[in-house]
Amino acid sequence: MTSRMTHYLKGIGEDLRRDWQLYLLALPMIVWFLLFLYKPMEGLQIAFKDFSPFRGIAGSPWVGLENFRTLLEDQIFIRAFINTITISGLGLIFAFPVPIILALMFNELQNEFGRRFSQTIVYLPHFISVVIVAGIVINLLSPTTGVINLILSSLGFEPVYFLTQPEWFRSVFIGSNIWKEAGFESIVYLAAIAGVSPTLYESARVDGASRWQMIWRITLPCILPTIIIMLIIRIGNLVEVGFEYIILLYQPATYSTADVVSTYVYRTGLQGTQYDLATAAGLFNAVIAFALVFTANRISRKVSSTSLW
Amino acid sequence: MSAVELNDVVKRYGALEVVHSIDLSVVQGEFVVLVGPSGCGKSTTLRMVAGLEDISGGTISIGGRVVNRMAPKDRDVAMVFQNYALYPHLNVAENIAFGLRVRGEKNAVVEAAVSEAATILDLTPYLKRKPADLSGGQRQRVAMGRAIVRKPRVFLFDEPLSNLDAKLRTQMRAEIRRLHNRMGVTSIYVTHDQVEAMTLADRIVVMNSGRVEQVGSPMELFLNPANAFVASFLGSPPMNLLKATVTAANGAAVARIDGTDDNPAQLTLPAWSAAALDAGQRILVGLRPEHLEIETGTVADVQNIPTTVDLVEPLGSEALLHCRIAGQPVVAKVDTPSDVQKLAEVRQLLMPTDRLHIFDLETGRAVNGRS
Repeated sequence: MTSRMTHYLKGIGEDLRRDWQLYLLALPMIVWFLLFLYKPMEGLQIAFKDFSPFRGIAGSPWVGLENFRTLLEDQIFIRAFINTITISGLGLIFAFPVPIILALMFNELQNEFGRRFSQTIVYLPHFISVVIVAGIVINLLSPTTGVINLILSSLGFEPVYFLTQPEWFRSVFIGSNIWKEAGFESIVYLAAIAGVSPTLYESARVDGASRWQMIWRITLPCILPTIIIMLIIRIGNLVEVGFEYIILLYQPATYSTADVVSTYVYRTGLQGTQYDLATAAGLFNAVIAFALVFTANRISRKVSSTSLW
Repeated sequence: MSAVELNDVVKRYGALEVVHSIDLSVVQGEFVVLVGPSGCGKSTTLRMVAGLEDISGGTISIGGRVVNRMAPKDRDVAMVFQNYALYPHLNVAENIAFGLRVRGEKNAVVEAAVSEAATILDLTPYLKRKPADLSGGQRQRVAMGRAIVRKPRVFLFDEPLSNLDAKLRTQMRAEIRRLHNRMGVTSIYVTHDQVEAMTLADRIVVMNSGRVEQVGSPMELFLNPANAFVASFLGSPPMNLLKATVTAANGAAVARIDGTDDNPAQLTLPAWSAAALDAGQRILVGLRPEHLEIETGTVADVQNIPTTVDLVEPLGSEALLHCRIAGQPVVAKVDTPSDVQKLAEVRQLLMPTDRLHIFDLETGRAVNGRS
């Protein structure tokens, strides 16, 4: 055992000596990870304590899984968790394919100017602040002055109060997110498509394949590993919906469909000062996210031989 | 009727003309090799025949139909690419079947065609493997399989052996020729390797700078090159070309090799050349390395050429002598004597006069007085 350990340590030492330049390059990132991602993890113990800011982490008494029990008995948390999964799930179904389709469309555009112009147009929304995007959405959907409602009125329909009706929230949220991010996300797929050998297409042209057949039989299978990696990452984020954009769009009237775990954590922890409960909710989310990404990665490795690790 | 006909074919990229007015007629069942150095326009010409490049002028006909504006799929050609262009996500059988599948052929037809191609190319044990699990030679055979299942009117090969090592290249070269003999399909093959061209072709088209330099059978081109470029391109090692000036002596033309002040050398030119050359004309005298000897053979009319040996490269039964004649570099390919060291002491080379080639120095064209 000792000799095996010595051998192992010796191997690491040799590795460090040989590739020290590479480790030196990685060092700032490792330090950043340790300081800002691993060190704060000691705060996770709050989830298992009856935390009081006055007593501090060390002085607060342990309560075991009490906070998790409280959470799982809290109907608002359950609703927030279901909303998170629903919004992410719908995003996976409707938003995930859009950048792939966009990339395929850009790839088919023959006119160089047309391609660059349309790419720039769809990339731009990514660089707009989420606050401004929320402002644009609120203005667009305004029941009195919003373009959408003006169009509906001109067609003889009653105005729709999109942002106060819970049944509209998910569509508005996912739709505006697609508008904001799909173009930028298509860059990854465009890069993958650029890596497909042009001779595959030339060979297919000589063999008689149509453009549609080339997309289905060459492009998509060739970028499948990239699609799978992106899908695994997306699945890992299933239980995480960015709370800034939700907070900017939601209101108590739409909580039933808009309230997600991150907004719950924000309200409970920061506004309600129940730090222990909020930490438990965050930890619960993180564990489920880890389980999801781990499972997706394993399935992907078995099915397609492509995996993150 | 020609299987493939190129008339006055031109290719331009903007203002840059890269293929200049090519005329070529390939007869049914013929194996034609386009050969030339990198950038000479041979691949561009092949791609124009395939329809992968638009033509800027002239006409291309396949099977009597003008195909200038016809899509590649409608030209009834199949192409084998330099990097094989195998679909990495499909196995061997699916790769071979690709062309038939996209054309909507029935399953039974596809399976029979794949099976037949696999048998011909010895690929049956590998049908379920992905291209990444195959050797270079096997990948090459899959690429050929994909072409042959289509049963096209014309096969187009774009440097298909370039990515293989020397041994495999020799093996695959023979396989391609055997396949052609078996199937008899008209083939146009592009290579920069003159050995491939010589061994595979019924006819060779030598190209240089976007122009056809000469078309003919391999031996025709080897024995009677139309110009200095063809002479120096075909043959391994290539023909030695010595700069010289024509002088006259006793009614015969004589070539005084350049740089003779310290080490004079002159060659009596064949009798037929006297009428074709002028005194003082600048020429290139061509000597094939294999025609140079170090011992007198049975051939009459042999001239002695004074030389110095720089380097000896023994190849086994033969050796390459890197020599200098009047200061100009020359390579001779001679039989290896029992004592290789003696080759370094060679002081003269023997050359049969009637084997000399003569080219005009200015135009590069062969001076041809032969009937």
